[in-house]
Amino acid sequence: MNIEEHIDAMFAGYADNASMKDFREELCANLTEKIESLKNRGLDEDAAMKKALGELGDISVIADELSQKKRREVFEIMYMNTRNYMSSRRVLLFVLCGAVLGFAVIASVLGWMYSKEAGAAAGSLMVFGIPPACGLIFLSLTQETAGKEAMSWKRALMYSADAAVFLFGTAVFWMTYLNGPNGLADAVAVLIPFVLPSAAFGAFLVLTETDRSKPWVTALRKEALERENELFESLSQERRFELLSGALWIAAAAGFVLLTMTLGIKFSWLSAVAAVVCQMLLVSAFIKK
Amino acid sequence: MEPKLSSDLLRGHTDTVVLASLLHQDRYGFEIYNTILERTGEQYELKEATLYSAYKRLERDGFITSYWGDETRGARRKYYHVTGKGRELYRQNKLDWQFTRKILNDLLGEDL
Repeated sequence: MNIEEHIDAMFAGYADNASMKDFREELCANLTEKIESLKNRGLDEDAAMKKALGELGDISVIADELSQKKRREVFEIMYMNTRNYMSSRRVLLFVLCGAVLGFAVIASVLGWMYSKEAGAAAGSLMVFGIPPACGLIFLSLTQETAGKEAMSWKRALMYSADAAVFLFGTAVFWMTYLNGPNGLADAVAVLIPFVLPSAAFGAFLVLTETDRSKPWVTALRKEALERENELFESLSQERRFELLSGALWIAAAAGFVLLTMTLGIKFSWLSAVAAVVCQMLLVSAFIKK
Repeated sequence: MEPKLSSDLLRGHTDTVVLASLLHQDRYGFEIYNTILERTGEQYELKEATLYSAYKRLERDGFITSYWGDETRGARRKYYHVTGKGRELYRQNKLDWQFTRKILNDLLGEDL
């Protein structure tokens, strides 16, 4: 490893911001010079490197301070670290639900292939598929991750019960449509007792949802928003930019349709290219000098 | 037994030591480290990380400023410059130390 690789390793996992880059450059220059001077005193490359790094000591305190523990990929960590929060019992339940769901899919495909009856396939999917699907919904909602707190089990239970009714209604709809005497008319009527209320209740649940993000995710999101706001002189400038961008893309869509009708599809894509160019010009005109 | 340097005691004075090394000229990290090492006859196992922390702290509080040198060859060096406020801190810390040393000498003397 050369000195830069050593420094890279020391700072692995820390976000690269301006002050961090600055510090890395300073560190790299000083270490390089130190190693040179050690080599001039008769040490070989490896020994000089080892001595220099040994005398450097622990720089993590400085790195922590500089990066404020900003991590590179929020979402990567959010999902990759989920394992740390999962007990083996939960892992087992996840796998079990997944397996039953897989079995349901296979069973319904086989059922359809042998009986040629789509209603039978929908039936077996309903019987074997809905319970594990609801189980998966419940498990993932009550799962704490690195970035999110777990949902309360009562609320998660409401979600999965709602999903059960919705899926049951959908299956009944298909079975009525495919097997019933009146076809579509009955099937649509079947939507009223199951699908409609469960969709409404689902919408209610989603709309009354609170943010379960952990404080560090909220802080990061706020920071990203502030960085974005900093690009503009003022709020009204930003609003103007958004309106103009919106208008631009509506015009681009209209231009696309118009060009397709007048000159044909061969030329209409040009309106998209023109819109991209105009958008770039808009950005450069509006961003703070 | 050979006397040895009390690292803990010295570490408490890192900021002042850094300021002292900058009194007469601006220096960069490796140079400051070397100056300190030479003055102690290489008896002090100073970790550079401690020094970097001191630079950051001193710069944040306005006792030193930093700037990049314009080296024509090799990597750029970051130089540190002591401010008026820094010189004042150095003078005060030195007085404090002289006073403390006197008291300690009295306390550790044999004729208590």
